[in-house]
Amino acid sequence: MSERTPLLAVEGLTKSFGGVRGVDGCSLEVAEGTITAVIGPNGSGKTTMFNLVTGYLRPDAGRVWFAGRDVTGHDPGRLYRQGLTRTFQQARVFAHLTVEENLVVAGGYGWRQVFTRRVRPSDAERAAGLLADFRLAGVSRLRASELSYGQRKLLEFAAVMMSSPRLVLLDEPTAGVNPVLVETIERYIRQRHGAGTTFLVVEHDLNFVMRLCDPVILMDTGRPIFTGTPAQVQASPLVLEAYLGA
Amino acid sequence: MRAAGPIRGVVFFGLLLALPAFGLQHWALNMLVFVLMYATMASAWNLIGGFAGYPSLGHAAFFGIGAYAVAIMFSGRPLGSGYGPFLVLPLIGLLGAVIGWPIAAVSMRTRADVFAIVTITFLFVVQTLAFNLHGVTNGSQGMALVPPFPAATFERPFYYVLVGLLALAMGVTVAAMRSKFGLSLASIRADEDKARGIGVHVTGVKVLAFTVSVGITAMVGAVWAYYESFIYPQFAVDPLVTISIVLMTFLGGRATLWGPVLGAFILEGGQQSLAYTLGAINVYLIAYAAVFLAVILLLPRGILPTIQDRLRRRSLRRDAAAAEPPIPAAVVAAQGGAGHE
Repeated sequence: MSERTPLLAVEGLTKSFGGVRGVDGCSLEVAEGTITAVIGPNGSGKTTMFNLVTGYLRPDAGRVWFAGRDVTGHDPGRLYRQGLTRTFQQARVFAHLTVEENLVVAGGYGWRQVFTRRVRPSDAERAAGLLADFRLAGVSRLRASELSYGQRKLLEFAAVMMSSPRLVLLDEPTAGVNPVLVETIERYIRQRHGAGTTFLVVEHDLNFVMRLCDPVILMDTGRPIFTGTPAQVQASPLVLEAYLGA
Repeated sequence: MRAAGPIRGVVFFGLLLALPAFGLQHWALNMLVFVLMYATMASAWNLIGGFAGYPSLGHAAFFGIGAYAVAIMFSGRPLGSGYGPFLVLPLIGLLGAVIGWPIAAVSMRTRADVFAIVTITFLFVVQTLAFNLHGVTNGSQGMALVPPFPAATFERPFYYVLVGLLALAMGVTVAAMRSKFGLSLASIRADEDKARGIGVHVTGVKVLAFTVSVGITAMVGAVWAYYESFIYPQFAVDPLVTISIVLMTFLGGRATLWGPVLGAFILEGGQQSLAYTLGAINVYLIAYAAVFLAVILLLPRGILPTIQDRLRRRSLRRDAAAAEPPIPAAVVAAQGGAGHE
């Protein structure tokens, strides 16, 4: 694959809710090996764009390419097994499963493995490694419902890493998470990035974005209005305009 | 710890197999036959209603399909040694599964309460067919297949076959709980959209769970039809059968191995005893309503999960006190007040 082919490409993506255009002709690219940020005020269409890209919503118009293939409207589970995965703004974990089981269930198994043991030693080993990375090793036997909100966000993040994805979409990974855990998340993203994973991050914490991400895409009213390095975005008057209104 | 489960199973089934040897009265064996029928059906229902969280109200339709299947096969034909209807049970299970598959594929596009309504609609469709397809079912005249067993030991063949079916239902449940199949069902019950998004084969596993569940239910229906000797549409396809198995599973505890069995022993045992002491009046229906209300209000999760939760909390507290340093507590403390909830 040529170096120019982006890992994720979105072209003219549009989605309306009633009379409101949540995403309106949105086109953007995520190059392999980057930590790309999407920022923008509330209601600018960031989460809707995530839902369209990951197959949770069907676009009214536009196309999505992942790793050179047209994946528009594909089932989220299929995309997940192909290496495109995401987390949710409100951490979605399986409350009555244990922390370990939450990871194991996300392994992206084929049909044949459905009839293998619930938690095989190899699953447990893999889960233990991820839990250690996220400082959740001590709570692996607890139920997810017994974790704090911040820990649940870590757990959801850890779980989607079970399938060794190529591209991870993080929807506000630090919202509602205390500074110690934010540091854990940041360290982990850097580590995985170093190992070759690409990230696309929606985030309101601009300090976090400026420290970690390049490039930064600014969205407003359903489409990107500026793309650049953190420094360029910070210097751009469009950012203030978008957030505060002109 | 790990051996406790198998030991419990061996003791339970050993007791069940030994019971008829104690010279039980006919009424007691008759009662046990019905308890076993309901324990098997509740265990089967639990696969889809408990583990996957899809509350089917249509299971009685498959009970009826099994009953009519065996009646159509053997009614008016010589029964030979009498074991023929038992030998075709696997076939009837397969038939229930084959009919259940498209029903599941269609009805499982809906969820929760809508799913319950769609499945109960299927029940009434089957009941209407049983009343009106005279050429096949003989309509409200019913069908007969009288087992040629001696009166002294009449219940025994049915009893042993039902012990076998209960073992099958519980065996499937254990296999599900210990495999990724059960883990997948649990994730569907908790958050189906999220489960789909992390690559769980949601449609496949829930359709499979439904298919296995109704296949076992159809086999119980066939045994029931043969045991009763005469079947009529209103009893073979009876919403009360559905309601009973749902109620038993809720009472004992959904998504547990022993909950549906416990529920069946309590409710069906209680109902049959009441029928003997009060005569065959429908007082038990009022008792059912009362039990249902009590379960919803006092034990919304059922008997076993409530007990298990108490034990689990106690052991967690003990572990936390023994651990050095207490890890969960430390992490929670490090979290501070950052959590929203």
